[in-house]
Amino acid sequence: MKPMFLPGVEHNPQPSPHTDLIRKMQASGAEYPQIWHLFAFRPAATDHLSRFTQEIMRGEGPLSPGMRELIAAFTSYRNDCPF
Amino acid sequence: MPHITLQDDLPGIRALFHFRPETAKPLCELADVLLHQPSSLSQAERELIATYVSSLNDCYYCQTSHGAIAAHHLNGNEDLVLQVKRDFKTAPISDKLKALLTIAGKVQQGGKRVTTEDIENARRLGATDREIHDTVLIAAAFCMYNCYVDGLATWAPEDPESYRRRAAVIAQSGYNQIPSDIQAQNRASAGGLTS
Repeated sequence: MKPMFLPGVEHNPQPSPHTDLIRKMQASGAEYPQIWHLFAFRPAATDHLSRFTQEIMRGEGPLSPGMRELIAAFTSYRNDCPF
Repeated sequence: MPHITLQDDLPGIRALFHFRPETAKPLCELADVLLHQPSSLSQAERELIATYVSSLNDCYYCQTSHGAIAAHHLNGNEDLVLQVKRDFKTAPISDKLKALLTIAGKVQQGGKRVTTEDIENARRLGATDREIHDTVLIAAAFCMYNCYVDGLATWAPEDPESYRRRAAVIAQSGYNQIPSDIQAQNRASAGGLTS
């Protein structure tokens, strides 16, 4: 994988579930999405993003989870963000 | 007029927070971490980044409300906020903040516009990885808040004084209180109607 813009972010994971995931993937030599490094670097901020995502994607609502993921995937496609 | 039925006395994102309290809470908590809680970037600098991105996105409510909060942190210097929005390169701010605003402006155009040179330039002017990280996250988050506010065509007050009043409250107590304040205010006005 290519190094990230910010080594200070990539190499300073804080105790968090994403740090554990990164370690596991690195141990097995598998690729993983680098957004995990963002979540591992600054959990005080990104935990709120995770809870927001959980609520808007899976919380109670009239749109099915599949429909919501389709909206997210369509928007990410338009933003040229393959992940 | 808003695209959906919202409580009509609440402006901008506050109406949306009232409409959907479950998503309001993490959105306000994210804003509080990014803009209000202690950081090596001052509250004024972070509010200026949020204001600048909101002005690029042409979001009247967000650029006016966060511009007022930035001015509050700058002892009422509304001219500086205006200068940053118009042409930050000639504004009397640090070179480091100019480099961070350049990155924020690129994020607003699209994440992939940020280049290695932009990052190196910010580093050379003293920005830490944490500061660059937070700048990108503030810019990205405000693109979301801006689209949220305008995508539902929320109403925004025109009187600058109302933004100054709100700014003083937010500058003092931060963003975490907003959802509970809105609900409390709503209960109080509902009580007033029935009694």
